[in-house]
Amino acid sequence: MTKIRRLTALTRAGIIESLQFRLGTAVMLFGNLIYLALVYFLWKAIYDSSGTDMVNGMTFHDTMIYLILATAIFNLLEMFIVWDMSRAIQSGEIIIHLLKPMRYRLYTFWSYTGAHVNNFFLAFVPTFIVVAVITGGAIPMGMNLLYFMISLILALIVNFNIEMLVAPICLYTESTWGINIVKETIVLLLSGATIPLAFFPEGLRQAVEFLPFRAVYDIPLTVLLAKNGTDTLAGLLPKLGIQALWVVVLTVCGNLFWNHAVKKITVNGG
Amino acid sequence: MNSEAVVMKNISKEFRVLNRHEGLKGSIHDLFSRDYRTVKAVDDVSLTVNRGEIIGYLGPNGAGKSTTIKIMTGVLEPSAGEIMVNGRVPYKDRTANAEHIGVVFGQRSQLWWNLPLIESFNLLRDIYLVPEKEYREMLELYRSLVDLEPILHKPVRQMSLGQRTLSDILAAFLHNPGIVFLDEPTIGLDVSMKAKIRELIRGLNEAKETTVILTTHDMGDVDALCRRIIIIDKGRKIYDNDIGHLKSYFGSYRTLRMRLGDDSWVEQVIDEKETDVMHVMQEMQKEHRIKDIQLQEISTEEVIRKIYEGGKSA
Amino acid sequence: MELARERKRGLSFYLSIYRKILIQDLKSKMSFRTDFIISTFGMVLTNVSGFITFMILFHNFPSVNGWDYNHMLFLYGFSLIALTPVQCFFDNNWNLRFMVRSGDFIKYCFRPINVFFYFISEVFDVKGLGQFAFGLGTFIYAWAHIGIPVTFVTIAEAVLFLMTASLFMIALMNFAAATCFWIINSGYVMVIMFRFKDFAKYPASIFNSVFRFIFTFIIPIAFVAYYPSLVFVTPDRVPLLSWLSPAIGALFFWLSYKFWMLGVRKYDFTGS
Repeated sequence: MTKIRRLTALTRAGIIESLQFRLGTAVMLFGNLIYLALVYFLWKAIYDSSGTDMVNGMTFHDTMIYLILATAIFNLLEMFIVWDMSRAIQSGEIIIHLLKPMRYRLYTFWSYTGAHVNNFFLAFVPTFIVVAVITGGAIPMGMNLLYFMISLILALIVNFNIEMLVAPICLYTESTWGINIVKETIVLLLSGATIPLAFFPEGLRQAVEFLPFRAVYDIPLTVLLAKNGTDTLAGLLPKLGIQALWVVVLTVCGNLFWNHAVKKITVNGG
Repeated sequence: MNSEAVVMKNISKEFRVLNRHEGLKGSIHDLFSRDYRTVKAVDDVSLTVNRGEIIGYLGPNGAGKSTTIKIMTGVLEPSAGEIMVNGRVPYKDRTANAEHIGVVFGQRSQLWWNLPLIESFNLLRDIYLVPEKEYREMLELYRSLVDLEPILHKPVRQMSLGQRTLSDILAAFLHNPGIVFLDEPTIGLDVSMKAKIRELIRGLNEAKETTVILTTHDMGDVDALCRRIIIIDKGRKIYDNDIGHLKSYFGSYRTLRMRLGDDSWVEQVIDEKETDVMHVMQEMQKEHRIKDIQLQEISTEEVIRKIYEGGKSA
Repeated sequence: MELARERKRGLSFYLSIYRKILIQDLKSKMSFRTDFIISTFGMVLTNVSGFITFMILFHNFPSVNGWDYNHMLFLYGFSLIALTPVQCFFDNNWNLRFMVRSGDFIKYCFRPINVFFYFISEVFDVKGLGQFAFGLGTFIYAWAHIGIPVTFVTIAEAVLFLMTASLFMIALMNFAAATCFWIINSGYVMVIMFRFKDFAKYPASIFNSVFRFIFTFIIPIAFVAYYPSLVFVTPDRVPLLSWLSPAIGALFFWLSYKFWMLGVRKYDFTGS
């Protein structure tokens, strides 16, 4: 019980901290709106020029809902662990973190949940409501919302684990920017955040099936839109299963790698 | 050239600070409202620094030392008052002012992090348009004061803190400025490095007659370098005079220690304004046998601590 | 004597200082070989990923708003080249907010040279050159396939328009970075501005009039590639804005510089 209280205290502190960036919050909302307008016009022009309503099983509406919510999830999930950790390593602050009576991975995860909770209510929920109202019923409102929440939490853990798997590389290379950009590029492209996976050429799409990245964007969004039979448990469970599998695999790998990296810190003295 | 390096008349500097509220509710409140309070970092300070002096500029944390230095360097514009540095108003022409000052600010290196020290020096020579001959002479002077060779070809990021501070101080003097500001130059250094740095500062001050304005929390720096000190507290100047005078100014305290007949030591702090040492001893002798005495001067550190702790203020 | 010193700090002074810093910087970068390799790889990867995105779109849709594949490619190449200077020369803007918050920024104010120059000169980002090469290849390929004549005039125009187009993105990032002097969490402003660059590579004609206005006059990303490209892509009907873009670019850059410097002056330097 005290453990949970300690963890939620971190969440609370995170909420307060990220609320204090008040203008930042407003700017973020505004910036997202403009960005979404850009996405809208681009795809509208694309569909207008194509002459058909349906491309690769996606209507214009489907594509838009998908991309807008992908952007919202992107904001929700955005973490700067690679940057944080590299700065902490360079300044030697990492030692202080390691001395705290809580495991660093856990500590980082729960510190970020405050920002996640905020972003969920300040960015994702409003975006979702606006999209749902405008598209007038294109998003089904049933059990899929609950399934989506489960899938989103799994996505969040997968995303965190990808970050935590990549961040300690800074200990070995000093190349924070390079590592971060490689990670971000790969995640955004192969998770279907920039272009829905449905548009990918067949070969690429099959390759992506076997990678963890689609567990972050593609699966939660498919579940939310109740596509590909995910509105039935028979269709849903395999998808959640894939996410859960990646959670386990990445957590194990991340832990092993992190322990190895910590040894390097303690050997080198920061 | 006039004989004053810095003249400040009734300088004040106010900041507006956002009132942040506590807790979750408070942060939501802060999200929508702007609630400011004004803080006076420097409050009506007047002072004059003469050419060639080393001034100790002291005060507890948050007293306004850094703000004053920022005003003198032209980074901040004062809210009120007049200031002249090297005969110029610093904030009106920061660039021209910067030409004739050197600054070492805390532990923040101003050198190019990845470059060997000599390359940083070369760049500074170009930036300050130092004539080649003067530049070479300066490097010669440096060689005579410190052992330059081990650090000259080392990138700053690989240096120890002491080497970095040393490099920063050398860099600040490179263009032979009229005034050098040193903000806590010996912070975090070991005893021998501190001594080295102090020697270097004194050496450069003597060789180039550079005015040095030194802020520090280390009274060792003050005792080693400064004849005159200025103390500010809560933005106001509370002392500005010789360091020797400081001890008598706040009461000329000395500690008299006496070994009595039973070999025990007793201590008596004496304010020489009120009574003198001989008198105390005579009084003591009426009742005890005094086998030995020691007379201790109160240290600068103790005096300063008295002042910071809000003892007697002028 | 003093006057003479100050007069010497003109354009040639700054160019020579920049050149010297650059040479030293490149020398020291060689000592971080892994970082260099990983960063270059990352940069190439973002470009490849951008190109894949582009290809996937065209795999599904052969033309957008009357722009066919080669025209789109031209726009894409143009934007990549125009976005190179901001990457190579102005990358230190990304560090501004950290410097300002920690108080380290103050060190830039103690030198008798321009603060903006001093700050910006500190970082030269080599990996931007990969993007330049990638963009140039695409640009030349599209140039040849559209059949734009190769004359002294067209090449001079290309150089002029590419250079001035790059000023827009530089200016946008200057504005975005300088917000950190006023607001705490300015990272978002930069990230959002930087994301807008993705849309420089699409024709502005796809937007409705409101957004075209915004992207022309308020957040002028349409000038990063679209307007200057029209000079080459539709030479028979070039809008006035295209011809004016060099002048607007210079003005916009100047404004962003002033805004940046205003931030420096307004900032309290309390972080110490």
